[in-house]
Formats: sequence, C-alpha cells, structure tokens
Amino acid sequence: MTASRRDFLRSLGRVTAGAPVALAAGVAPALAEAAPVHHWAMVVDVAKCIGCQACTVACIHENRVPENAFRTFVTTWEVAEADRISTAVLPRLCNHCDAPPCVPVCPVGATFKAAGGEVLVDADRCVGCGYCVQACPYDARFINAETRTADKCTFCAHRVAAGLLPACVETCVGGARIFGDLADPKSIVSKLLAERGKDVRVLKPEEKTSPNVFYLGLDDRFAGRVDAVPTLWHPTPEREGGASHV
Amino acid sequence: MSEITELLYVGRDPAWAPWAVQYFFLIGLSYGSFLVSLPGIAFGRERWRGLGRAALVGALVCGLVAPVALLSDLHQPGRFAEFYFRPAATSWMAWGAFFIPAYVGALVLYALAALAPDFAAAATSGGPLAPVRRLLSGPARPRLVLVLGLMTLVAAFTVALYTGVEVMVVRARPLWNTALLPWQFAATALAGSIGLTLILARTVFDAGSREDRLGHRLLLGALGLVAAFGAAWFALATMSPNGAEGRAFAQVSGSPVWRLSAIWLAAAVAVPAVVALVKPVGSGWLTGLLALNAAWMFRWTIFVGGQELPKTGAGLYSHPLALGPDGLLGIVGTAGLWLAVLLIFTTLLDRSGAGDTRRSSTAVEGA
Repeated sequence: MTASRRDFLRSLGRVTAGAPVALAAGVAPALAEAAPVHHWAMVVDVAKCIGCQACTVACIHENRVPENAFRTFVTTWEVAEADRISTAVLPRLCNHCDAPPCVPVCPVGATFKAAGGEVLVDADRCVGCGYCVQACPYDARFINAETRTADKCTFCAHRVAAGLLPACVETCVGGARIFGDLADPKSIVSKLLAERGKDVRVLKPEEKTSPNVFYLGLDDRFAGRVDAVPTLWHPTPEREGGASHV
Repeated sequence: MSEITELLYVGRDPAWAPWAVQYFFLIGLSYGSFLVSLPGIAFGRERWRGLGRAALVGALVCGLVAPVALLSDLHQPGRFAEFYFRPAATSWMAWGAFFIPAYVGALVLYALAALAPDFAAAATSGGPLAPVRRLLSGPARPRLVLVLGLMTLVAAFTVALYTGVEVMVVRARPLWNTALLPWQFAATALAGSIGLTLILARTVFDAGSREDRLGHRLLLGALGLVAAFGAAWFALATMSPNGAEGRAFAQVSGSPVWRLSAIWLAAAVAVPAVVALVKPVGSGWLTGLLALNAAWMFRWTIFVGGQELPKTGAGLYSHPLALGPDGLLGIVGTAGLWLAVLLIFTTLLDRSGAGDTRRSSTAVEGA
C-alpha cells in the first residue's frame, strides 16, 4: 500500500469514526455540520510525471469518457534552450476551484461545489447550454457528445466515496499525482504544501479561482496560456457527421 | 532564449455552435428593428412611418425566429423548462430566459396593435385568408400602440443588456471580457437592423426615396457608432496590454486568419457607409445587405473565432464548418424559417398602407 493511499484512507476515517458517536448522542445537526470535513485536493509533482498518459487512459476507462474527449490529459512540450533540448509535461484536469467561475454562470444550478470541495455537475439538471464550458479558464470542461451535458473531472467522486483513490492517481506510474484531504493537517497533501510552500504553484493564479490542484516544480512559463509553437499532433480528428464542430 | 514547441494538446469543440450566432444575430436585429419602428409607429412621426412599418415587420419576424435558434442549441428543446423550474439568479443566462419571452410577448402585442388596421384593410379584399385577417384586424388605437411600444422598449432594453453582459462576464475569454462588447453588440445590431429595414422597405413595402434617404442617414449614424466602438477597443488594446482588450489583441494579432477577419469587418463597416453617402437613393438593397453582413460577421467572429482561441494551449483550435444541423444546415435552416415566417406574415398583411388610418388622416389634413 502506498503512502498516498494510507494517508487517504486515514482521512476517510475521520468522519466515519465520529459519525456513530454523534448518532448515539442524538445530535444529527452536529453530524450535518461535521459532514463537510474533507477538503479534497491534488498535488502534482511535475518532476515525477513522465508524460506516459496512463492517467488519461485510466480516466477514460473509469469514467466512460466519450471518444475525442478528455477529463484529464498531459500536455507535452519540447523546450529548446541554447544547445539543450528537453521535454516538459503538465498533467491537466479540473482544478476544483474554491471560487469556480463555472458555478455562478450555470443558469439552472446544475454545477455546484460539493461538501468535499469537488466541483460537480448534476447531469439530470444540466441543460447543456455550455455556459460553464466558456467560463472555465482551464479548458477543463466540455459538452459530452453522447449525453449533451457538461462533463468534467469529478476527482472520481464515486471512487472516493467508496474509499478508493481517483483513477488517475491510482494508475500514475511515477507517483506524480497525490490526492488527499487538505482539512487534515497530517495528510500528505497538507504536509507537501506546507513543506514546499515556495515551490507550490497553481495554474493561472491571476484568475483568482483558488484552485485545489497544486503543482510542485512547475515552470512559470507553463502556468498559463503557453507561448509556444502550435501543436504538431492534434488528437481530435474531424468527427464524422461533425456533431458539434463549427 | 528558449523556443517551446507544443507536442501534445487536446482540442476542444466549441460549446456554442453556429446556432448561438444565429440567435444573437436575430435577436439583435429584432430589438434594433423595434427601435427603428418606434418613431413612426409608436410616436406617430409621419416622416418615419414608411420605414417604421418595414422595421416593425422585421422586428417581429426576427423576434419570433430567434428563440427557435436558441432552443435548437440545447439539442433537446424540452430542456428549456429547467430554466423556469430552477433559475439561478447569479447567471445572466437565467435572467435571459425571462427577458426573452417578456420581450417577444410585448413585441407581438405591439405589432398586432399597430398592424390591426392593415389586417382589417386586407380582410376587405376577401379570399381564403379573409377569416384569419379578420381575426387579426382591429381599429387604429394610437394610444394603445404607444403604451405597448413603451413596454416593449423596456423589454428590448433588458434583452440588449443581457445578451451583451452574458458574454462580457466570461473572464476566461479576453476577447469577450471587455466592457465594450455589449455596446458593440448593440451598435452592430442597430446597423444590421437598419440594413434589414432598408431591404424590407424596398422589397416588401415598395418604399420610395424618402425612406431610402432616412434609412441611409440612420445607417451612417449606426455605422459611425460601430466604428467608434471598434476604435475604442483598438485604443484600449494597444494602450493597456494587460487589460482584457490587450490580452485578446496579443492572442490574435499574429494570426493571418484574424487579420483577414479584421479587414473584412472594417470593410463591412466602411463600404456601406461610402455607398450610403455617395448614392443615398436606390442603393438600399446593397447597403442593407452589407450592413447585415457586418452584424452577422461581427457575431461569427466573436463567437466562433473566440472559441478557436485556446485558454491554455498555443495557436488556434481548428474547427471545420460541419455540414449538418450543428453547422451549415443550422444556419440555412434558420434563414429558411425566417423567410417562411416573413412570407406568411406579409401574405396576411395589407402592404399598401391602406389600413394606415393615421397616415391617411395626416395626408388629408396636409392637403
């Protein structure tokens, strides 16, 4: 069992251990107040990412992401400096912001912040208007071509509820993705952020969205819109019938 | 010095398909045409009467068709009910769901009240459509028309406001996130609606040189506004590189596609202005079409072009125009629906102005 999983399971226990006590004491309101004790977050150690896209594939399989769509992805660049050429990578996903721009624009309240801090979409309520897709500064959302509703990373809320790690974390070859509870000061994510404070970055800090995805060792040149020669290979081919292409 | 080449990135399909362009285009034409109709129809200005009738028909036809395009963009039209069951007050789109029916409803009442005498005049000619015309006919009620016109004016303002601000608040897209955008939408809508009015006045109502001259004077004013807002955007973009306009300019200035779009938009404003100045009579067809092109091109560039700018990636997303319902067919289909509604409406209407009792009485008084 990895340190990340042990840490994660210990965090889960914090609420479930307290719940029976609260119920026995007949203090249901206290339980309700105790419920949002988690504050899920992900720390991505960029130096450990090898750009293998195992997370991309795991997410697609776990969440039945339709063809040509991605909830997470590892952007890859070639960086030429003087006589040295290197590869830079950046795993991307929904940042589950504490001030998410996608939430207030939703005309029907289908997008919301869950108790654990995850930004989720109620697909039964979503009308597929795409307003949240426009509002997301990270291009993390898309309209699912099959359901015609907004789709995005959920931090694998269904797995987390079952005591499992998100699929991308579970499968990460280099252990670059660390998932945990910021509400628990002893969690690895909390410790990492505390210990490596100066080295912690978020994407597009100027947007003031307070992301819950943090990056260690991220070059500032890749934190926003990257000034680069455009992509050489585009994984979204022209869709037959052009369902939602313009 | 380093050079970065993007090797792997994902393309995102545009969330707002051409249906959105059609909606913003048509609803803009509708409220713009409604404004043009006000002096002649609601306020009884005789000089504006001919242009006002054409503008009113344009406002009504566009106002009826625009929501259809909007519903089509939801792909499951029944979803619109969610807007009323669970409205979220923080969203401008949610407010729009209430503003649109208020505007279209008020517009329909205003148009029916104003055109009731025309339907009555048409009903006297008999024929198979006479029962429908009689149903829509009524006496001239200038006071009622004025009251309904003012109500529609308030509703039109809310539509103009929400359609502009709804897009403007999207901070993630610098091209949209400018305080000038609502004004630019309104100015181009006004220019396009005057163009539409000129065309309808010439083709449907056989308007003469007076309407052409007046329409072209209005068009010059509207095009001047469009140019002024465009110049203001450019000035902000160059003077303040860190502002939304500056960031948007930095994203597009190096792109040949965007340079072509800018030249096209500038020409779409300049050419009809020159034609309107040089040949103010008999050129309504040409200037009208060019002004419509300016209004449509502006929205296409903002919406489709804007969504081709990646928020995190390099370069531009490339999205070929689909031929199906979410692309060309959607655009052509909306245009077809617009034409069908126009034909139905103008078939029922007496277009000679015989039912325009206020005009007749004024003419008699003048004699």
